[in-house]
Amino acid sequence: MQDHGYFRRSLAALAACAIAVPVIAQAQDDTLVVALPTFSEQTMTPWGGSGQRKTYLDTVYEYLVYLDAEGNTEPGLAESWTVENDGTKWTFTLRAGVSFSDESCGTVTAEDVKYSIERLIAEDSRAGPASTMRRIIDTVEAPDALTVVVNLSAPDFLLDAGYFGEAQQLGIVCKSYAEAQGEAVDTAPPVGTGAYVLERSVDGSEITMVRREGDHWRVDPQWERISFRAVPEEATRVAMLRAGEADIAPVNFDSIAGLEGAGIRIVSAEKTWSPVIRLGGVVQTDAERFNTELPWADRRVRQAMNYAIDKQAIIDELFAGQGTVANGDTPVAAWDSVPPYPYDPEKAKELLAEAGYPNGFDMVMKTFTTTPGAELPLMAEAAALYLAEVGINVTIEPTDWPSVRSEWTGGGKLDFAMTHRGFPFPNPENGVEAGFSTRSLFASFTSDELEAKLASLAAETDRAARREKLTEIGQYIRDEAGAIFMVLANEPYGVGADVGDWSIDTSYVYNFDRAGKAE
Amino acid sequence: MTRLILGRLAEALAALLLMSLAIFLLSRVTGDPVALLLGDGATAEDRDLLIAQLRLDRPLWEQYLSFLGNALTGDFGQSVAAGRRDALELVLDRLPASLSLAAVALGFTLVTGIAMGVVAAITRGSAVDVFVRIVALLGQSVPAFWLGIVLIYVVAVHWGWLPTSGYGTPAHYVLPALTMGTFTLAAVTRLVRASMLDALGSEYIKLARIKGLPEATVILKHALSNSLIPVVTFMGAFFATMITGAVVVETVFAWPGIGRLAYESIVSRDFPVIQTVVLVITACFILANFCVDMLYLAIDPRMRDRG
Repeated sequence: MQDHGYFRRSLAALAACAIAVPVIAQAQDDTLVVALPTFSEQTMTPWGGSGQRKTYLDTVYEYLVYLDAEGNTEPGLAESWTVENDGTKWTFTLRAGVSFSDESCGTVTAEDVKYSIERLIAEDSRAGPASTMRRIIDTVEAPDALTVVVNLSAPDFLLDAGYFGEAQQLGIVCKSYAEAQGEAVDTAPPVGTGAYVLERSVDGSEITMVRREGDHWRVDPQWERISFRAVPEEATRVAMLRAGEADIAPVNFDSIAGLEGAGIRIVSAEKTWSPVIRLGGVVQTDAERFNTELPWADRRVRQAMNYAIDKQAIIDELFAGQGTVANGDTPVAAWDSVPPYPYDPEKAKELLAEAGYPNGFDMVMKTFTTTPGAELPLMAEAAALYLAEVGINVTIEPTDWPSVRSEWTGGGKLDFAMTHRGFPFPNPENGVEAGFSTRSLFASFTSDELEAKLASLAAETDRAARREKLTEIGQYIRDEAGAIFMVLANEPYGVGADVGDWSIDTSYVYNFDRAGKAE
Repeated sequence: MTRLILGRLAEALAALLLMSLAIFLLSRVTGDPVALLLGDGATAEDRDLLIAQLRLDRPLWEQYLSFLGNALTGDFGQSVAAGRRDALELVLDRLPASLSLAAVALGFTLVTGIAMGVVAAITRGSAVDVFVRIVALLGQSVPAFWLGIVLIYVVAVHWGWLPTSGYGTPAHYVLPALTMGTFTLAAVTRLVRASMLDALGSEYIKLARIKGLPEATVILKHALSNSLIPVVTFMGAFFATMITGAVVVETVFAWPGIGRLAYESIVSRDFPVIQTVVLVITACFILANFCVDMLYLAIDPRMRDRG
């Protein structure tokens, strides 16, 4: 406290720092900056966590099968493939000469693919589809360097577009590299065949990929670097877009108008998620989970709840018109012919009266915010208002996803509904099983008839007949009102002026390595 | 002095032990990570397998003792949600970002708060005094979330003076430090003002003026130095609060600090990381208060005699 001169000098230095430091606010010219809500686990292997990490992992790893804009399969690391034995034996012929980013790994061989599959389905895998894949994949063989044979315990005619496709998590790794890393492989720099390699990773902040030297066999990457930033707050991501600090970022629906006004264009992935209201306690095939006391144990009540809500109005107001009225709990192409419930409050009241609830009833709806899905609590409030008009009094309980998921999958007779978001499964049969099969912990609605239909589908070996049965299942779930089907929503991304062509066609396929530069 | 240090160490160990037990139990009240780690199509068998892998099938007391025993050897377990990374390593990776931001925020708070408090005290009752007190009150009333977003839009988006968010350069510190420090600024301003008013009314200050010392010397050398004792007392608490309460600021500014890590680990029920974060934060809190005690001894001779 004696040396005021030192104090004054310190103040001056601080002020100088605050004012004179150059602003590093603009995205570098040859760096595509993508601001994401989360890096999830921020691990570097396909089996090391959830599919949310595909945002950055898909610039490094590649897949056996790719999908075009219509969802049709295209050769990837597998040049061709066949399915035989009524859908239980798949043979993949690999593309020769595709090199890994680490020279010591050489080119992709069948052993790398076999290893990648076995690690993905291993018991310690943290990948989302690991447990279901483990159930259906019996053995994997590598009879020669470019041939992989996968034997299944049950038919799966959509293995190529589904589990082995680019929308899932089977990125192909270098076996020798992964084995050499041992337990540290989840956090070691990833080695794949993609067009980019890891340059820098700062925990919870940034992952930067740099383009590999030379031409790439699949993509023509325009950007030298792709830098992913973890920015949990949506308002901050919007600010980054407007300030030019980010080139691409997912945004909320209510930010669209402001961004377009500021010259930021919006690219939407259509029908990539479906906000839905799941009704708990209607697992009719399990006495432990079927709550017969619930009003919505009666199908007429569930149907009434669907008729009571004007879903188009909710889409127009809460989703900026970016969506369609849902006919199911996830977007399924085979369900396109299934008509959604129209808005008909009078019909809703009739059904409630028939079911013995002329004056309605009380219920609890739990809701939470997630990504995407900041709209779920708003959707819950809107739905509650419509339900109130037919006498159903909804008490909304804000909660968080981990708590409600624990409760939902914990077993027992649930007595509440919850808002949720469904994602399209590349193989829709997997999605139907997850939501409506007795053995799934997550099932909200099941019935003996539905179990029979699912078993019949699983045993069907004719592709055309499988699609018909899947459509039939969709119609059944709709008629039984297995949930309150709300919206098949788009997922909007703000895209800055420096970005040229870029599209996102389906969930979990980001195409950042294909993003073009504006002229 | 030795007695003081040993006493503080014993208190610190007791606090850490109690905190470890409290957070162990509290984190398990709202559920476990199993439901979150399971895929959507998982079955009861998958859940049982995962519970066994995570060793959550053991009795609670066994889990706690196992954690404690390992913690004493520096092993805080592996993260459940972040690729089995070492929990302590995860926390220590994020700690520098939080400490540096808190230090800058504290620096801003002290420099600005002391200046404002002195000005308010020496212009007591004037428009300047009222203005300073209103600014301080606003700083305490405005939510950090709102202030941060407004600063981003005004300073970064519209004026383009600073980056909106992120971490890595001195420029990245300015807005989050300002947001974080504003709340504490009010407290420091009022403390300094009240202490200065006390000091300026005391006999030794009157004597200094009678002796003809320059007013600046009277205020800055004699009055201010005695007025800072309460500020020093609270500095430890301020610093620890800035680290522990930073989750909002770290989220708004995408700052990869320990506050965000704590929030993310709670949301994912990542027990090893939750426990480690809380213990590390507790240790920071204890260390900060210890440093304050030592600083107190250094600046107040009366405390040395009592210590």
